[in-house]
This record gives sequence, C-alpha cells and structure tokens, in this order.
Amino acid sequence: MSSPLRAVALPFRKGRGKILEIERLQKVYPMNGGFLPVLEEITFQAESGELICILGRSGCGKSTLLKIVAGFVPPSYGKVLLKGARVKTPGPDRCVIFQEDALFPWLTVRENIAFGLRGLDQNKKSRKAEVDCFLELVGLGDFGDYLPNEISGGMKQRVALARVLILKPEVLLMDEPFASLDAQSREEMQKLLLSLWQELAITILFVTHDVNEAVILADKILLMGKNPGRIREEIRVDLPRPRDRESSAFMSVSRRLCEALRD
Amino acid sequence: MRKDMKEQHPLSWRFLPGIIPGLFLVAWIMVSATELIPNYLLPHPLEIAEAGYAYVLGRPGERPYAGRFLSDAGASLFRVGCGFGVAVAVGLPLGILSGRLALVHRLMSTTVNALRAVPGITWLPLAMVWFGIGMKTTVFLVALAAFFPIYLNAAAGAKQVNPLWLQAGAMMGVRRVRGTFAILLPGAMSHLMAGLRLGLGISWAYLVLGELTGVPNGLGAVIMDARMLGRIDMIVVGIIVIAFIGRMSDQLLQVGMKLCFKSARRTA
Repeated sequence: MSSPLRAVALPFRKGRGKILEIERLQKVYPMNGGFLPVLEEITFQAESGELICILGRSGCGKSTLLKIVAGFVPPSYGKVLLKGARVKTPGPDRCVIFQEDALFPWLTVRENIAFGLRGLDQNKKSRKAEVDCFLELVGLGDFGDYLPNEISGGMKQRVALARVLILKPEVLLMDEPFASLDAQSREEMQKLLLSLWQELAITILFVTHDVNEAVILADKILLMGKNPGRIREEIRVDLPRPRDRESSAFMSVSRRLCEALRD
Repeated sequence: MRKDMKEQHPLSWRFLPGIIPGLFLVAWIMVSATELIPNYLLPHPLEIAEAGYAYVLGRPGERPYAGRFLSDAGASLFRVGCGFGVAVAVGLPLGILSGRLALVHRLMSTTVNALRAVPGITWLPLAMVWFGIGMKTTVFLVALAAFFPIYLNAAAGAKQVNPLWLQAGAMMGVRRVRGTFAILLPGAMSHLMAGLRLGLGISWAYLVLGELTGVPNGLGAVIMDARMLGRIDMIVVGIIVIAFIGRMSDQLLQVGMKLCFKSARRTA
C-alpha cells in the first residue's frame, strides 16, 4: 500500500519510553448503602507504540477502566499518567473509539472527520487535504459525502478511526470497537487497524472479550478477572506478524487464554 | 458521487393531498344545491369564492370587507411574529437548560407544569385588564401559549441527546460553548423542530382568540365582525385564509430551518 500519509507531515511521535502509566487504580460504586468494588489495584504501563489488549469477560470492568483512562469517569483511588502528567478530563491526546456508533448523524463522513480540526488554526486548504488523506487512509475515498446513516457499520468504524487519528492522539483507546460487526468486516477492520498502527506508530489500548482478536492484535495482553475487576495476568505475545490464525503457535496461545478466561 | 436518495413516486402521489379537500368541496356544493342546509347557515361555495376574491383582491370601499386582506393579514402576522418570537427567545434557551441541568429542571418543572394546566383562554380577562384590547393582549396570549410546546420539546430534546456524542465531542477537545452549538443543538434538532412547529400552530389559535376581543383589524377581528353582521360567507373566508396562512407559515418555518441548519436538513 503506497501511503497517502506521505502527502502530509507526520507529527505522530515515534521512539520508545513509557507513555501511559496506570497506578493502583481502584473504582467503587456506591450501592445500597455499601460499596461495590468494580476495579481493584490496576497497575500497568504502556510503552510508546505498544498495542495492548485488555481481555476479559463481560462485567469485569474493562470498559470502566478504559473510561477512566479516557477521563470520562474519575477513579476512586489511584491515578492515570500520560507522559508523566495526571489525566483528569477527556482530551484529544487520548481518543476513544466506542463500541456503538458515535458519529454525528447530521454531518457527512468528511465533516465528521474534520470535526475535531475546527477550532485549531489551520487554513481551509490544508485541512481539506488532510481530511482527504485520512479518508484515503481508512479506505473511504469515495464516501466522503455520504451521511453516517447511509453507510455500513464497518464503514462507520472506519470514519470513527479517521476522525480521531487526524487529531494525532498520543494514545488510542478502543472499547470493543468491532464487536457488533460481522465476522468478515471484523477481520478486515483488524487488518486495517494493524496497518494503521504500524504506519502511524500509535499506542493503542484495545478492550475486547474476543480471545482471537486479542491474539491477532496484541503485543501484550492484560487478562482481567472479575468481582472485583483486576489484572490476573500479563501475557506477552511474541508471535511474528502478520499472524496466522491457523498456525499452531497462534492456537496454543489462544487455547491457553481461553482456559484462563474460563476459571 | 452520492446517490440521489429521493424516492420516486407516480404522478398521482402529487394529487393525494388534494383528495380530501376536493371531496369535501363536492359534498358542500351538493348540500348547497339541494338546500339541505339553508343558505343563511352555509352559503354556496361560489358565494364564498366571490367574497374571498373581493376580500383579497377587491378595491377598498367597493363592498364591505373588500381589499382588507393585506392589512388584516399583515397585522395578524405581525402579532403572531412578535408573540412567537418571544416564546422562542424565552422557551428555547430555558428548555435546553432544563433538559441538561437537573437544577434548572427541578427549579422550573413544578411551576411550568402548573401554569400549563391552566387553559390559555383563562388568561384572557386578566390580559385585557393588564394590557387593554389589542396588540399587547394578543402578543401576550400568543407568547404564553407557544411557550409551553417550545419549552417542553426543547427540554426533551436536550435530555435525550445521545451521551456518546457529547463524550465524543469532549474527547475531541470541544469545550462547552462549541459543544452546545455544534453537538447539543443539532443533536436535539428533531425535537426543537417539533416544538417550534407546535408552537407556531398554537400561535395562530391564540392570535384569533386575542383578536376576537374587538381589535379593529386582523384576521380574527374580521371573523368576529362578520359574525355580528351575519356575514357567514366572510366567516368562512376568514377560516380559509387562516388555514392557508397557517399552513404556509408552518412550511416556511420548516424550509427556513432546513436552509439554515444542516441538522434540520439531514435529521429532522
């Protein structure tokens, strides 16, 4: 794939080093006069450019964890540090891809992608060039003038990717973004995500309940258990890329994860 | 690039809205021709047409009511415009605030719902004492009546805006002011439109009520005047004119909103 990104400058930050630090995070919700612990003692770090999957069954608090990192929900205890600075509110340095469709239905695909750019000082011409470039990048070159309701679920998630990648976030947070897609679209989206990740060298925190998805994508898998949600195991996935779902190495990793999830 | 999404309809589709009025007119002509209902209660459509023609296009002084249309319609439109304008200016921002902020909702809802339970016509005697007969009373009644649908729909619309849109805006670095105009209002647009249309519709109802109290000009005044002179034909002309202008103003509101706002064009 010849990259349309060559057309614009690439301000994504490369280089290694800790970018995201989660320290002793806890979350409790008040319930019937008592407290319901949702997350307990969550501690981990993300290296710059790392793709981390948070794998767990429904109700283990993995989405809550992501919301805390995004800044939508405050933690009860502990902190989230992005490049050493404490995270308190949502911001364009930590963009989220939601599971559900969160595009603005009154804006076209192109306008949705340009949404976050408005308010930044930039002339119209270079903005248009940039939007075009990101449209191309997610494979929606011909669909810029469509409305969200006129395109498929997979295409909507491509738009969602483009509209946040254009803001050059430090970390991309993804909350089961492909869970509602059919199997084929899901595989396509995983491929697309991997190619974008390699090309743009972004750091990604990817929440999923799908073992195979985690093994296909992740450098590192954080296996979460529930009641209360905590990280049970940190698993490095060193399989070479592109990964083959049929290979015995792949299957042995996913089998092991499946078993770990079961108990 | 983008396909034209408009559905294609057969030609008969265009005439569909005319069928009910057409049938109604035929029935009316038959009833008049057979004198099933005496003429002094329901004049023949031709007489109505004649009176309507004189009212709209006739020269003043030619016959009673001739040529008064423009000044009556102008006066009525102005009163509706003022009353509706006040209702929008107060109802829309208050409604949005009450839809988003629990504090404002708690503060307002008891009062608004209590006032809403009072039929608008109940205010008429008080308004006449306060504002006298004419412009001010009419504008007051129109504004009061139009306020409730606008306020309530704006509140409902602001409340049901998809929270994901607001979260998405926040993560893209959108602050409160831009979030309000670029996300909240477009996101609530279908409700806002419904409220505005209901408000405008009810404005016409209360316009006539206000004008029935003895103002010299206006569409409601013509109807009341014609009643006292026993001119049934002019009453019917007045009704038709109000139906026509009311419908036009509703369409104008919709077209105007769609011209001004993408969200009205694409989602409402």
